[in-house]
Amino acid sequence: MVTEDIYNKEYDVIIVGGGVTGAGTARDCALRGLSVLLVERNDYSTGATGRNHGLMHSGARYAVTDGESARECISENMILRRIARHCVEETDGLFITLPEDDLAYQRTFVEACQSAGIRADIIDPEEARRIEPAVNPDLIGAVRIPDASIDPFRLTIANLLDARMHGAEALNHHEVEGLILNQGRVEGVKLFNKLKGEHVEVRGRVVVNAAGIWGQRIAEMAGCKISMFPARGALLIFGHRVNQMVINRCRKPANADILVPDDTVCVIGTTSDRIPIETVDDMRVTREEVDILLKEGIKLAPSLATTRVIRAYAGVRPLVASDDDPSGRSISRGIVCLDHAKRDGVEGFITITGGKMMTYRLMGEIATNAVCAKLGNTAACVTAAQPLPGSEEGAPSQSDLTKRYSFGQRAAIGRHGSLAARIEKDNDIDNALVCECEGVTVGEIKYAVQQLHVHNLVNLRRRTRVGMGTCQGKLCSCRAASLMGEMSHDVKRAQQDLASFLDERWKGMRPVAWGDTLREAQLTAAIYEGLCGLDMAVNTQGKEDQQ
Amino acid sequence: MRMDTVIMGGGLSGLTCGIALAKRGQRVTIVASGLSTLQFNCGSMELLGCIDGKAVTSPLEAIATLPQGHPYSKIGTDRIATLAEQAKSLLDDAGVIMEGNAAANHWRITPMGIAKPAWLTLFGHLHIDDLNQLPARRVALMCVRGFFDQPNGMLANGLKELGFEVEKIEFTTDDITALRRSPSEMRASSLSKHLVSNHALLRVADQINSLTGDAELVLMPSVLADEEAVRTLQSMVNKPLRMIATLPPSVPGARIQTLLRHYFRMLGGNYLMGDSAVSGTFDGDLLTAITTAKLGDMPLKADNFVLATGSFISRGLIADYERVYEPVLGLDVDADAEREQWTRFGVLEQQAYMGYGVATDNNLRCLKQGKTISNLHAIGSVLSGHDAIKMGDGTGVSLLTALAAAQDILGNK
Repeated sequence: MVTEDIYNKEYDVIIVGGGVTGAGTARDCALRGLSVLLVERNDYSTGATGRNHGLMHSGARYAVTDGESARECISENMILRRIARHCVEETDGLFITLPEDDLAYQRTFVEACQSAGIRADIIDPEEARRIEPAVNPDLIGAVRIPDASIDPFRLTIANLLDARMHGAEALNHHEVEGLILNQGRVEGVKLFNKLKGEHVEVRGRVVVNAAGIWGQRIAEMAGCKISMFPARGALLIFGHRVNQMVINRCRKPANADILVPDDTVCVIGTTSDRIPIETVDDMRVTREEVDILLKEGIKLAPSLATTRVIRAYAGVRPLVASDDDPSGRSISRGIVCLDHAKRDGVEGFITITGGKMMTYRLMGEIATNAVCAKLGNTAACVTAAQPLPGSEEGAPSQSDLTKRYSFGQRAAIGRHGSLAARIEKDNDIDNALVCECEGVTVGEIKYAVQQLHVHNLVNLRRRTRVGMGTCQGKLCSCRAASLMGEMSHDVKRAQQDLASFLDERWKGMRPVAWGDTLREAQLTAAIYEGLCGLDMAVNTQGKEDQQ
Repeated sequence: MRMDTVIMGGGLSGLTCGIALAKRGQRVTIVASGLSTLQFNCGSMELLGCIDGKAVTSPLEAIATLPQGHPYSKIGTDRIATLAEQAKSLLDDAGVIMEGNAAANHWRITPMGIAKPAWLTLFGHLHIDDLNQLPARRVALMCVRGFFDQPNGMLANGLKELGFEVEKIEFTTDDITALRRSPSEMRASSLSKHLVSNHALLRVADQINSLTGDAELVLMPSVLADEEAVRTLQSMVNKPLRMIATLPPSVPGARIQTLLRHYFRMLGGNYLMGDSAVSGTFDGDLLTAITTAKLGDMPLKADNFVLATGSFISRGLIADYERVYEPVLGLDVDADAEREQWTRFGVLEQQAYMGYGVATDNNLRCLKQGKTISNLHAIGSVLSGHDAIKMGDGTGVSLLTALAAAQDILGNK
């Protein structure tokens, strides 16, 4: 559907926020037969969804401190293994005790896991060293739990794709500037189309605020007050996959105590700091954060000391003050669903927040239940049983992949599951590799541009992993920009886009710009500025949109 | 065997210095890791391209205004014109035929179609003296089917903005199509290996001649391995034909590297390929020997040494978590102490680390703990005080400091 037609429809529900919670809610609403529009101010997964470990928690981390969260996690963990298996890598995880930790905590931990229904097996340190050679060999205790690694970008897009297959519409790069209010009712959203610079209004019977930390602002537009407590966490990506299992510290949750293998890299995190709400858009990672992450990370896996750090990033979790506590001191770590009709006397407006990436599906279910109650829809939720597109029955197994497909095709199937069948691969050009690190072909880029809301290289990176490998987009970003320029017939914009993309990559490299990462930066400058003169061709003021 | 001079680094500056010394009868060994920024070469040499973001038209005049710490200022701006002449004739002797002069920059055309100031441009490559007087109006831009390392759309657009009428023409030949069988083979370097024989070139020429209609100038990516192939194809095509540099690996850069290496060996030079210096032995203010990774406990001894190990890219400089250092000899470096100072927020801003390098006296002799090492010169990108990216002085500094150091070494004898 063209954008103008999307604007002119009236929807049962408009969802604000293109993170995994918004996408999961859109899917659930669409599957229950509602007409749905999702709007996102930047790109899908730009906020906390794309700024975490990529860890599929077993819930063990919360078992001691928050049994309810732990039970939610393990239950959703088991569901995601079924419905989103093309986004999940079943790595399992270890909770290790180091000499400086109290081994007595291990017993408390295992008991708490068992009472939350999480499998937790104490194993011998020798056994831990054998199954995970990267682990700190000085460990004095280890527990094996069902953690896994999950790709949040892929998960979000799979939810959106399924929502669209069931009639939903989605618009990225559309910012909510205000809500349409009429006699105490929310009747739609006022949008700014950042791609075209247009202001439009779209009407909906219910508006769901799924904007994460930015949800406080959206609620204020309806005159509702939610007290958010932004909790910032910084993380580091290492240049190769040091560990094969998730490694956690077996102690009370603290800084930098989880190391997750993701695809070809691994990620250490997080720090945890309360920050003022005014600073949530400043994602710059500080030197102090980098220092803590390195110091603690090396304790989990000593080889990190000599592994290249390719990128640093930070995200903000939306913690919410509990409504029962007027002082605002008591913070809920669980899912918070607010019906503003009951709470604030504003009809047609629901906020879904708190929670975790792990519980996005459950959050979607709870929010959709609230929407359905308002609209008198009685359809049951099916998202826990029905696989996401890409994870349907009959999707090829790993051994099929190695036998029958090229590297590029295998990588694409890994990323898109059974949807990879839609990628053009019938001629030699479509099979040609654009990104050698991640195995992205011309055909996959065409598919992403045509089907997956790709307007720029940052969008493309989130859909395909182009430029996410160890070279951080040294040559592939130019190849991809060139291809996109030819597809859109707007070469000038593609060039500006390339500069913005390099700038976005640099923002993550700069806090860790030493060693090979500084070297790569100089190499990139030699190619794009020295050789190509890109700096002379573009306006060097980075667009605010490309943070 | 004791050498007259041992050069650490076999890129543009190391080879130039080695040739200048070998020509005067010195016994020279070059220890070359194999890494060289010639891999990203644009087919041109730059003396000085930009000052404060403005294109330089007369580099010799502009050089006189450079700050004291710049390598050109150390050499002495009055020597630059002579050294530039010598560099051009040294390249010429090696078979690297380049056009241009140091008094006035011309414009090279980048793979993205941007005009950038240049001093010398390799034979057969497009360069323009005056952007107000283009050499042709109608241009046929030949695009190799399935070759992604020439951004054709951007290149065509850039050429149009310069005032050309551009037609993009996609073509292929059997030799080129054969490369497609592996999805990652379609690189400039592999094309250059397949477009060598007269037969293969004739098939390219046939395509160009039959597709380019009334174009006045034909442009194609720089994927021909040597001057002979360029001349052969030019003679087969019925219109003027010029090359434009591609994304790496750079075929013209590889050509320059190969020709210089052959010439150095022809002059009796000893080129240790795939080896690198790892440490040195000092005696007072003299470096007496270096050890290399491959020769192990057999040190290389010489009267003079030259450090030409390049910048961070080539690992001539290393930044770790805490500091910037010179890894082979532990020489003094000019660099900011705090990590936050090394870089700037925007990727296209001028980055401080680009100007970092080893500290030298005005004769380009290195310092260690504040003391001059009298028989150790540093040349090329390992030097502090210049910025190949924002000033467009990288290749010029490599060539001219190499010659200046060679003169100093020969004068010392």
